[in-house]
Amino acid sequence: MVDYALFLGCNIPNRLPQLELAARKVLPTFDVNLVDIEEFGCCPEPIGIQELSRDTWMAMASINLALAEEKGLDILALCNGCYETLKTVNTELNHNGHHKEKVNAILSQIGKEVKGSQNVKHLLEVLHKDIGVEKIKSSIQKELKGIKVAVHYGCHAIRPSAILKTDDPFQPKSLDELVTAVGAESIPYLRKMLCCGTGIEGVDKDNQLWMINDKLAQVQHMNADCMTMLCPLCYIQYEMGQLQLKKEPYHGNYAIPIMYYPELLGLALGIDPKEFGFSLHRVKVEPLLEKIL
Amino acid sequence: MKISSDFRKEISKLGEGFSVNYCYQCGTCSGGCPALRYTKVYNPRRIMEDVLLGFKEKTLKDPVLWFCTMCHACLEACPQGVKVSEILILLRNLATELGAFPVHLKAEVSTLIENGLINPGGAAIQRRRQQLGLPDVPKPIVDNIKKVAELTGFISLTGYQPKEGERPKENE
Repeated sequence: MVDYALFLGCNIPNRLPQLELAARKVLPTFDVNLVDIEEFGCCPEPIGIQELSRDTWMAMASINLALAEEKGLDILALCNGCYETLKTVNTELNHNGHHKEKVNAILSQIGKEVKGSQNVKHLLEVLHKDIGVEKIKSSIQKELKGIKVAVHYGCHAIRPSAILKTDDPFQPKSLDELVTAVGAESIPYLRKMLCCGTGIEGVDKDNQLWMINDKLAQVQHMNADCMTMLCPLCYIQYEMGQLQLKKEPYHGNYAIPIMYYPELLGLALGIDPKEFGFSLHRVKVEPLLEKIL
Repeated sequence: MKISSDFRKEISKLGEGFSVNYCYQCGTCSGGCPALRYTKVYNPRRIMEDVLLGFKEKTLKDPVLWFCTMCHACLEACPQGVKVSEILILLRNLATELGAFPVHLKAEVSTLIENGLINPGGAAIQRRRQQLGLPDVPKPIVDNIKKVAELTGFISLTGYQPKEGERPKENE
């Protein structure tokens, strides 16, 4: 058993509990024990709070790092944004003593201290590097044969690569390999590495929707049965995007199920679909489930 | 606008800012930039150029500064090792000091300071979580987060003010 402090962030527990459910169902199968830390707060998110004040962002992230350190646990993040924040801040604290001093001067006022002594991991790393493709393959009860999956990584799982060190920043393979491990096919498609555009949602929603549209059109063109990803914000964009794109002037006509990878993995492990929160998906997953079961 | 090296020198002292001096304006950052492709107004090469030329006010007060999606493709692709997106964060921090940041972030700041989360859930989500057999959501110590926000100057920087007529919830 490996213990991790489970870092849920804001969006997964409060908007997409079905994602959390899938992660909690699947990980214990591979001897990963998830420990909840009640006081975890916002990571804080790297594309808003960091932009306003990097110092504040570092100090607030350090509260979360310190909480995991108190328990002697490495952090497992389920969200790309949380992962980028916590990993970047942890790395900076370790490489720059000046930063650590500055942050600790603030944290001492709330009775905390950060050392940077624990690791921060993305679910992608735990699945691909620690558990490994071979172990996943050998645990499969129901191969997802014939299922075409369009993989989407999400920028902050892999970039900046010098800090995150998870995969290649332009041609990543890990999630594709995890998809093949459950017997499904990872289909090639144009715009595979296109960003979901969450970062401009607040300032230019229209162009962000065109951005989402471009990707969905390519996924549809390749007759994918679903898209899979590991980031809740990308998930929201591609799921809600399909609904928003139905309106003028976009006229999109999409019905592409968006699957959090642990959901696909869970189905392949033979877990009853009723045990997941599929009814909470905004784009129906039944056509996919019928094909699988 | 007057060309000067002052702005470049200021940026060079911050974080990864020094790398801006290596920029030779090839435009690789812009070539792979999704924000440029879709918004058609955001252009990372041009922003680096303006920094090098010293156009501080123009750069920081232009709302276009906030049209980057933060995908970091520019930083990965730059043949000169210019940390383009990291420099953009520095620029946005400086713009914030001038009060030039998008209004939607104000709401995000309020939510963060009042809840310790930028996306807190209500009673409905709590019920749904119970139906799914999930534990209660994390409850950050809001006072700690608020205190840190005060100490770093974040509260005065963002102009955060508690909502009028709202009393702090004590016994909930």
